[in-house]
Amino acid sequence: MRTILKIALGIIAAIGGFLDIGDLVFTTQAGALYRYDLLWAVVLGVIGIAVYAEMSGRVAAVSGRPVFDVIRMRMGFGVGLLALVASTFVNLLTVAAELGGIAIVLELLFDALYSMFVIAGTLALVGIVALLPFGGIERFFGYGGLLLFVVVATVFHQDPNWGDVGRGFIPSLDSSTLYLYFVVGVFAAALMPYEVHFYSSGAIEEGWTEENLKENRLNAFLGYGIGGVLSVALIIASGYLFHPIGVEPNDLGTVALPMQGAFGETGLLLALGGMLFCVGGAAIDSSFAASYNLAQFLGWEWGRYKGPQKAPRFTASWLVFLLLGIAIAESGINPVEVTEYSVVFSVVALPLTYLPVLLIAGDRSFMDEYANGRIAGFLGWLYFAVILVLAVAAIPLLLATNGGGG
Amino acid sequence: MATVIIAALTLAASGCGDLSNDELNRGVESLSALAGQGQLVASGVARDATKATYARVMAKTLGEQADHEAEKLADATLEEAETGDQRRAAVAVAGEISSLLSELQTYPGDERHGALVQKHLEEAQEKADAIVAQLSGDAP
Amino acid sequence: MKGEGEIYVVHRLLDEQICDSEGRRVGRVDDVELRGDPPRITALLVGEGLYPRRLPRSLARLARRISGPERWGANALRIPWEEVDELSSTVKLKKKAEELGLGMGDDPERWIVRRLPWN
Repeated sequence: MRTILKIALGIIAAIGGFLDIGDLVFTTQAGALYRYDLLWAVVLGVIGIAVYAEMSGRVAAVSGRPVFDVIRMRMGFGVGLLALVASTFVNLLTVAAELGGIAIVLELLFDALYSMFVIAGTLALVGIVALLPFGGIERFFGYGGLLLFVVVATVFHQDPNWGDVGRGFIPSLDSSTLYLYFVVGVFAAALMPYEVHFYSSGAIEEGWTEENLKENRLNAFLGYGIGGVLSVALIIASGYLFHPIGVEPNDLGTVALPMQGAFGETGLLLALGGMLFCVGGAAIDSSFAASYNLAQFLGWEWGRYKGPQKAPRFTASWLVFLLLGIAIAESGINPVEVTEYSVVFSVVALPLTYLPVLLIAGDRSFMDEYANGRIAGFLGWLYFAVILVLAVAAIPLLLATNGGGG
Repeated sequence: MATVIIAALTLAASGCGDLSNDELNRGVESLSALAGQGQLVASGVARDATKATYARVMAKTLGEQADHEAEKLADATLEEAETGDQRRAAVAVAGEISSLLSELQTYPGDERHGALVQKHLEEAQEKADAIVAQLSGDAP
Repeated sequence: MKGEGEIYVVHRLLDEQICDSEGRRVGRVDDVELRGDPPRITALLVGEGLYPRRLPRSLARLARRISGPERWGANALRIPWEEVDELSSTVKLKKKAEELGLGMGDDPERWIVRRLPWN
């Protein structure tokens, strides 16, 4: 019994930072615009990140190589540099959006200046990272994110037409460009690369070996599966409330309205609290991912487990990324808009960081008996194809729909 | 001569500042959406089922969006002159929504105000929806 | 065939992480020095000064402007092949980083990080 609890807690810790401002925004908008019709896209994205994360975690545990080590080693300096530049750009936008998201939620809770909260929130994050060990940081944000289960409770309270909900899980392709844009957006928000880069480096932070492979698989599928359940619930809750009255969710605060509707102030506070932990965790994960990628590509010492003394450049780069994120968040651009760009650009860059991991995960000379089996290989390549299609379609759709404005 | 033609074509094509029927439609739909969301916030206040800070910040954000929409609608020149009435009505509705949300922003904890704002926002939304219906009726 | 084997080793060596005898990460194999006929690996080369070499011609000039010319001992270091202890998922060296002039970028002496509150 105790092992089950331990595993469950470990899984929850692993998913802190998966649900980020991008998920919150895209799922709420998708529900409002298309009710339950995009549920299948969420599921597709969640399975995708589970596949990518499982491979990355396995590669890290067996060969000691995190994602950007794999990328540079397998693809060489030139392509690796391109991947680094693209990924750093995306991560920077993501960090800025998450820091802005934290400030928005704090503003909704305490009604002081957003610009003050951007800085206060970031300082709090630095404090948490400084005080807690790596595992503690994960647990802090992972468990806090559980508050968002109020969304699941809201769905049951709403008691939607389950037949309609069920139909949403069957893939359907509307020809409207806006619908296709949201297919890409919802999928991409679920399959954010920073989360996998963080996860794979985290495996090494925690000293994983072949013995952790089962845990790796549980984290990937069960962990992100739980995140997927929350994303699904967000779409349903939003679709049920917003779609009939034509609400257009353009703000982060709107995400919490269904929970306020179902459970009043308690529901609202649980929702905002959960959002705070989710976005906070995502800010940590994305800023760490940016530093991990840079340090790993260049060969610097890296890792929270090494400490600032032994990995000063890694630490300094992390602080710089936070500062740049603050600058963008304070610049007056709406974090919700920044998120739209970070999500779309991240799927464009995704093939570059996904393919090397897929290749190494299937390569016996690196992985011995732990290389991709038939199922992992099939899923891995299937998703590569899906990702390629979406990567090509993403920017045209962004332009055609005027940034999801319709 | 060629430069003049190109310039004229570009200007005509960009229609900068021109409000087509579709865009006017979209604008009024946004107003309806804002009113709808405003009602949800207001109903929370009315039932004392929300946090005042949340209601105030939401009312402020929605109000800003309503103002922005009002400006867009008021400033643009209409592509089709027949929609002039609808445009005037739309700007008026935007103004109503904006001031109702201001009310909510000022009294985010007052249940009575919340109930009143909710009712009036519902009326404003109905007006907006009526304009949309008229525009769709007019559209070829 | 020996020639192909060498090329494979060079290929696998290139871009690999380098660790010193204590397991500290001290850079990557940015280039490999080959001498003689048939070519033998005589040294590993590390440093930003070597990046322009690795880029296609069009970008190399821009890169050269950014990283500066190759300054041996500063932004380009030479690790003789004899210093390599073993090759696994990293290139492990026989000596500590300081002895080879590596990892200077992460030398704590040079950073204000030391003076941060939690140290």
